[in-house]
Amino acid sequence: MSNVTKRNVPSATKPSTSAAAQKPAKQEPESIVHSKNDAHDPTGVKTILIVACLGCIWLIGFASRLFSVIRYESIIHEFDPWFNYRATYHMVTTSFYEFLNWFDERAWYPLGRIVGGTVYPGLMITSGGIHWLLSNMNITIHIREICVFLAPFFSGLTAISTYLLTKELWSQGAGLFAAAFIGIVPGYISRSVAGSYDNEGIAIFALMFTYYLWIKSVKTGRVFWAILTALSYFYMVSAWGGYVFIINLIPLHVFVLMIIGRYSDRIYVAYSVFYIIGTILSMQIPFVGFQPIRTSEHMAAAGTFALIQAYAFLNYLKSKLSAKEFRSFFIFAVTLAAGVVFAGVVALTYFGYIAPWSGRFYSLWDTGYAKIHIPIITSVSEHQPTTWTSFFFDLHILACIFPAGVWFCIKELNDERVFIVLYAVFASYFAGVMVRLILTLTPVVCILSAIALSNLNLVVQIIEIFCHEINIFFRTLEYYLFDENIGQDKSVDKELKDKSQYDEKVPRSFPLSKPQQDKNLNPNLKTFVVIALAVLLVLFAAHCTWVTSNAYSSPSIVLATYSESGQRQIIDDFREAYYWLRKNTQDDARIMSWWDYGYQIAGMGNRTTLVDNNTWNNSHIALVGKAMSSNESEAYKIMRELDVDYVLVIFGGLIGYSGDDINKFLWMVRIAEGEHPKDIRESDYFTEQGEFRVDAGGSKTLLNCLMYKLSYYRFGEIQVDYRTPPGFDRTRNVEIGNKNFKLEHLEEAFTSEHWIVRIFRVKEPSNRTPNKDLLRKIKRNKSVHSKKGKKRQGVIKNKPVVVKGKSATIKK
Amino acid sequence: MRKLFFLLSTLVLIQAIFSKGIVPNGQGKRLLVLLDTYSIRETHSTFFKSLRDRGFQITFKTADEPDLALTKYSEYIFDHLALFCPNVAEFGGNITTKSVVDFIDDGGNVLVAASSQLAEPIREIAGECGIEFSDEGTSVIDRFNSDVNDDGQNTLIVSEAQNLINNNLIVGNAKSGAPLLYRGIAMTADPENPLLLEILTASSYSYSYNPSEKISEYPHSVGKGTLLISALQARNNARVVFVGSLDFFSNDFFESAVQRAAVNSKRFDKSGNQDLAVSLSQWVFKEKGVIRVGGIDHHKVGEKRPPVAYTIKEDIVYSIKIEEMVNGKWVPFQAKDVQLEFVRLDPFVRTTLTNSNGNFNVKFKIPDVYGIFKFVVDYNRIGYTHLFSSTQVSVRPLEHTQYERFIPAAFPYYASAFSMMAAVFLFTFIQLYHVDEEKQNIEQM
Repeated sequence: MSNVTKRNVPSATKPSTSAAAQKPAKQEPESIVHSKNDAHDPTGVKTILIVACLGCIWLIGFASRLFSVIRYESIIHEFDPWFNYRATYHMVTTSFYEFLNWFDERAWYPLGRIVGGTVYPGLMITSGGIHWLLSNMNITIHIREICVFLAPFFSGLTAISTYLLTKELWSQGAGLFAAAFIGIVPGYISRSVAGSYDNEGIAIFALMFTYYLWIKSVKTGRVFWAILTALSYFYMVSAWGGYVFIINLIPLHVFVLMIIGRYSDRIYVAYSVFYIIGTILSMQIPFVGFQPIRTSEHMAAAGTFALIQAYAFLNYLKSKLSAKEFRSFFIFAVTLAAGVVFAGVVALTYFGYIAPWSGRFYSLWDTGYAKIHIPIITSVSEHQPTTWTSFFFDLHILACIFPAGVWFCIKELNDERVFIVLYAVFASYFAGVMVRLILTLTPVVCILSAIALSNLNLVVQIIEIFCHEINIFFRTLEYYLFDENIGQDKSVDKELKDKSQYDEKVPRSFPLSKPQQDKNLNPNLKTFVVIALAVLLVLFAAHCTWVTSNAYSSPSIVLATYSESGQRQIIDDFREAYYWLRKNTQDDARIMSWWDYGYQIAGMGNRTTLVDNNTWNNSHIALVGKAMSSNESEAYKIMRELDVDYVLVIFGGLIGYSGDDINKFLWMVRIAEGEHPKDIRESDYFTEQGEFRVDAGGSKTLLNCLMYKLSYYRFGEIQVDYRTPPGFDRTRNVEIGNKNFKLEHLEEAFTSEHWIVRIFRVKEPSNRTPNKDLLRKIKRNKSVHSKKGKKRQGVIKNKPVVVKGKSATIKK
Repeated sequence: MRKLFFLLSTLVLIQAIFSKGIVPNGQGKRLLVLLDTYSIRETHSTFFKSLRDRGFQITFKTADEPDLALTKYSEYIFDHLALFCPNVAEFGGNITTKSVVDFIDDGGNVLVAASSQLAEPIREIAGECGIEFSDEGTSVIDRFNSDVNDDGQNTLIVSEAQNLINNNLIVGNAKSGAPLLYRGIAMTADPENPLLLEILTASSYSYSYNPSEKISEYPHSVGKGTLLISALQARNNARVVFVGSLDFFSNDFFESAVQRAAVNSKRFDKSGNQDLAVSLSQWVFKEKGVIRVGGIDHHKVGEKRPPVAYTIKEDIVYSIKIEEMVNGKWVPFQAKDVQLEFVRLDPFVRTTLTNSNGNFNVKFKIPDVYGIFKFVVDYNRIGYTHLFSSTQVSVRPLEHTQYERFIPAAFPYYASAFSMMAAVFLFTFIQLYHVDEEKQNIEQM
């Protein structure tokens, strides 16, 4: 099979094929053959071509991520990016050490947050470094612009490292394909449009580059490449929590190689160097700290390290012992070593030296785990299980092609292809568990699809085999159907014969040998396949552009709607409200809101928040959830305890914005119930039929809880449409059930233009405590005198009337 | 133009000098007394004289006068208000029940004297403060503790001084003095209400009913639940005292001898009314029991100014200056039970402050917990105004340079690092300069 692949480079590299054929690869391992072929380029034209291609890919990838900037403005998107931006801004305006020691007293009031120790600083350092470099070159640019354009910029680097990785795995042609795919594939664009200033934007680059260097070090077995891998891994650790994927996948690769008997000294050198240096480096990140030696997530890497040492030692013994003695000893020793490592990890976990798997990690294996135990994880939309449509949406045709790539790799297995196959298998599994993990699947899908597509000849062969199979199938069918009267129905047989006429070369005899190898492919079929694939790729590009433009380019803090006449209307309520907070509340005002908006309030409003998107303290979030789901007076107690000054709720009922707090409300109830099961019960918020409804049929608890009251305060007075009653909620399409209520402990402070953001002020406790029962009974007589205004006479009962010359008498 | 400007600025200056809101903390002396009739001014002259002697500028008005007003140009023109007008059915001029309640909410102090003939506005004001008066026409009746001078209806009652609240600031020395004479209406209050004080309760035998009617239903209040004098200190420290008897303040009652209408009861030549009335007026008009925070200071031990943020486990000093109003002057507050709490949701430190002549201070160590803390002094004692002071500070964790560099626990690691270095050096040395003898021999051969 190997000579097939040698020839099967895309047409662009044809000149080199013959050259390679003349110079057969000696003592080189199989895997290096492709790159050797690719490298043969005496004129240098090919290099220029490749560089030009990669440049174009970078440009296209960058440009197609700019939809949001062109449509809206250069603005930071969504939620987490606002924190990253705020942290970057803090770092740029102060210093790196200030940032490292930053204790953010405006978050998680009154607990505070040690930002330096709870953040992956790679993102901030990267953009801060670029800013520093540019300003030293006298290019003055605001840090926000760098933050906005960082992810599109890095998408180009990702494309290049994907190219390098694929080149190492297969060929340059496949590399170019892979680079082109990763440049525009929606699964990656979703996290890297301009303004989406998040860890993933740079982490995917670091991921691919680390893998490239790892493959390189496996191939060469040189300390140099292994150290580079460790350095790249360090960058990855500093950038994203997803580094755990690397530190599990690489050991797995090594482990599998050992099991299938592909162990070599190259792997020993590569892994030992990488693990030691990588671990030490990763422990330098404050947020990671001692985790690499203390938590179960990292134990696979440590165990593999121990195992490979034992394996290498036994290999050494093997060279000293006779084969016969050794065999039994070897199996025994390896099993023993593996058993000892495993038992050691278990014992250390049991005695508390190693933390057991975190809940977030468990939820990857047991998809039901988070739903029961950690509602806060399940409540995040990107943690939901993936639907099939989203695979197609994010990967389009690549999702269908990439299994072919896996097949090719397995077919011609070598050390590094084991890696990519493992990567494909695990990433597919994880992507099925959580929507957001499609991101880690996307690069491998691009690589494998590129490998599949770059083997056009093989593809054609497959199709040929397929046609052949169909042929056989029909024949078999015919055989069984018309067994008895085979002579009677000649016409069908003839038709079938005619059908197969188009390819004379396909052997029509039954014993199906392998189709003939490449030399005598049908040129028609080949053309057909090429055209079909070209059409598919054009469709893919069109789909990518469409998805980028329509689904992934909305900043989500600015909304756009289209009126009937097609005019675009910008709904800018979020910024309006946050700006109001910034300008109209005292500097240390504490804002209570659901955690989704914490980063935005801090970033845009510059005010203290109680909970935010860094959901590290579940009980604090549960307390806020409890306040939101309690009735007003209960909530007031909690709010006083937490020194809340303002409450901010998101309400979409007026314009039909579906991402509002009422729709998220059940999660607040669930999270609150997790911590306060005595006070909050989810079932109280449903009707007896088990429905969640906000109209008159809704449960009393729901209609009187704080969140409901704040969302719908004075909403009953508003009639948006003549066809609907007043107080008609357009998001849930019902008339609300509780109108005309008054707030006792809060007062409305601000409501944005479309009512999306509503802010309420928490009142001080009342100066007095009136006796309400009594006041209800007091008869307030109408004024007895007619004269209004300032100069009015009062009335005193039993007033003695003074008549001159008489003693005082009591008027009756 | 310049002239105009001068004129304007003079006007502004005059305005600034003469316009005053409510002067808080007992320094304001402007008192408006609303009466049923001007004759009350004469019948209660001893009480009013005692006020005037203490420096109050008293304005007497009947409650129905058409030019009544508490405010002028939106500024309060009185600091205190005394309602000696139980019969008022509707105030004259600008005053309404709402304006009186607003006056309280803006910090004004009110003394209310009621009587059996109590009209709605006073009831409403009381209701806003959480006090409920009995129905019109009812009186407190006590068949066992009536005075010898009683007219047979048992409404002129002798209240033992033991029934007074045990607090010198409010009642002065009246608690150990002569019994009190009382004729008037009963009050009740919600015992759950934390802002109310029961200054004088009736005896266990008393009840509230119309003395001229036959008892046909359960009385509005009975026994100790019947309040004769009650007080509200609102959250803004405005004080309101309700006395159910207008006669309580009268010259007659001040001078009258007291003796229970029972065999062998002791006779007192003078009732305790005057002592109590004077003490009550001193308290309600903020002459007594007024404290304030003079200043707060906190810093690290050995420093002068507070840092931007404290670090965990630092020793810090907190001091608060508390002053008390005595005879119109602020003097250092003398108390030994002022406490400080260092709070982050829960108090992490709670300690008593040592008083050095009004400067209360304490030195303590910040706990090993970071976050946003508050220094809270919440001094809430009966008779004193509510003193609350909260100062927010951040307590941050150690910076990366503040950890100890060389700890004994790390010596094995240092040892291993240095031994490794030595070993590598040695190994390199051997590798480079050692030649196997056999090889050497071979080469030589």
